[in-house]
Amino acid sequence: MIGDYTRRSFLDGLLGVATLGWIGSVLYPVLSYLKPPPPPVRSGPVRLSPSATERIEREAFTIVSAAGKRILVFRDGDRNLRALDARCTHEGCTVQYVPKESVVWCACHNARFDEQGRVISGPPPRPLGRYIVKKDGAGNVFVHQESA
Amino acid sequence: MKPARTSTGLRAWLEDRYQLEPLFQFLSHKEVPIGAHSMVWYFLGGATLFFFAIQIATGILLLMYYQAGEATSYESIRYITTKVPFGWLIRSIHCWSAHLMIVSLVIHMFSVLVLKAYRPPRELTWVSGYLLFAISLGFGFSGYLLPWNELAYFATVVGTDSVKSVPLVGEWILEVLRGGPDVSIATLYRFFALHVVILPLAAIALIGSHLLFVQRQGMALPVGSTKAPPGMPFFPSFAVRDLLLWLGCLLVLLSLAVFVPYGPGLPGVDWELGVKADPLMPAYPGIKPEWYFLWVYQLLKEFPPHLLGLEGPQLCLLLVSVLMVFWAAIPWLDKSARNNRPSPMFTDLAFAAAYFLLFLTLKAWDIGAPEGAHDEAAALITARWSAWAVLAVAAVFSAFRAIRHGHHYYILSLAAVLHAFGHGILGFSYLVAGASTAAIALGLALAGGFFSSTASAERNG
Repeated sequence: MIGDYTRRSFLDGLLGVATLGWIGSVLYPVLSYLKPPPPPVRSGPVRLSPSATERIEREAFTIVSAAGKRILVFRDGDRNLRALDARCTHEGCTVQYVPKESVVWCACHNARFDEQGRVISGPPPRPLGRYIVKKDGAGNVFVHQESA
Repeated sequence: MKPARTSTGLRAWLEDRYQLEPLFQFLSHKEVPIGAHSMVWYFLGGATLFFFAIQIATGILLLMYYQAGEATSYESIRYITTKVPFGWLIRSIHCWSAHLMIVSLVIHMFSVLVLKAYRPPRELTWVSGYLLFAISLGFGFSGYLLPWNELAYFATVVGTDSVKSVPLVGEWILEVLRGGPDVSIATLYRFFALHVVILPLAAIALIGSHLLFVQRQGMALPVGSTKAPPGMPFFPSFAVRDLLLWLGCLLVLLSLAVFVPYGPGLPGVDWELGVKADPLMPAYPGIKPEWYFLWVYQLLKEFPPHLLGLEGPQLCLLLVSVLMVFWAAIPWLDKSARNNRPSPMFTDLAFAAAYFLLFLTLKAWDIGAPEGAHDEAAALITARWSAWAVLAVAAVFSAFRAIRHGHHYYILSLAAVLHAFGHGILGFSYLVAGASTAAIALGLALAGGFFSSTASAERNG
């Protein structure tokens, strides 16, 4: 015995450390298992399907999926194509373009953004992310996955 | 001297093998206190348990046909409700009993709060009940997604997105809940496992503990009592009444399920299957979560984009978390009740909480606003209607409390009413009105010396 330090207290400490190590060795793989691996990311611009392009002409906007994100592609008041992150920065609902008012609207908490994605009213804390959108000579619309 | 009664038949057979006599003795001597207040409050836990049992039974029946999957979830629910004999009825009973279970659970919890049944030695009964309430909300939230319809999809998007505000681990929790960065069919698989395996196991374990605590400690005596008042034998007197109430619950449940099979059509109390979920469709106007989440939904709307260096949703989540922790810790915070003395402040807290939740819920329901209107003018009309409704409800309950129970303490409930008045009628923002009335209430409470439990306050139950 050295002072108050006995062989029993040493073994108790060792057992405590071993128990913590054992709990960690069980929890780590379980917690890692729970988080799924990131979805595969396809690089380069995404071409809109003919039906999505047609929908823009018909309803002024469409929502497409690219690299695990929802992207709103719409024709603004000046007939230019624009692409914004379709997830509202408030609680993640999918926004829509309202051509009559030239605003992007989220129905969940009544948030409004302008055509550049800036917050006009409502509770969203940040503007919507912007993407580059281009149309080629053959009428194909491409959304670049990098934010503008 | 009379000879000791000997058991016969099945009871004797069981006694020979398991020596159950002490258990039978315990049950035959068990009593429920009577006389201090209405016995109604003692039956609410049993009613909640009844609705939970109905949930389990109808849930198992729904599992016979339900298939979780992108191409099957919505289709299998449609098949159950349109093709399977009485499938619509089973689903309707499942949905109605879920809502009725939450209703009876909420009333049960508020009655425990008002009667101070959480005071020592029953702190863990309160905590286990609190956890059961959280699990019930989890059942509602996870079950909502299973039909994989448009409403379910967006309710899950909003509900899960709010967890990302949790510092450090928010994004991790979000991905674990969703099974990926966004709500997808992977989320449905996880919610399905949660709904039919994880939550039922947790609920059964907690219900077991809760009932064990209640059986071991008995029903709480009225505040101030030191010895048990005259009691009603649990078997058969109370148990028969319990069974009678269950029969009444079944009657109400079946009537609602048969005559209103898809809910009354109010936002948040409606389970029409609607349109299949499409993650590439925008959220539709008027989308609302279940009625018991409406207050959080509305609170999220009330916060500005940024406040006190935090984003609005982060601050809202922080406030809700603080309120939840406070609610769980009530048995330790209520010092008067801990000493078996009346605690009028905590009685009034129950009413204040009810007015606070009612105001937000009515606002979320858009009461008074023109159909389909979502502008600022409509929001002002809704706030005004909601405030008047809260004022009316508070006036009725305050008069009842004063006349029937002689209550004198109204600071917290008055603050909740002033909050609604300041926002809905005077036009202050929700947070400004809330902060002002909270400051006034705190000042009055401190001036009244309520945190030191003055003798004058103790007159009031």
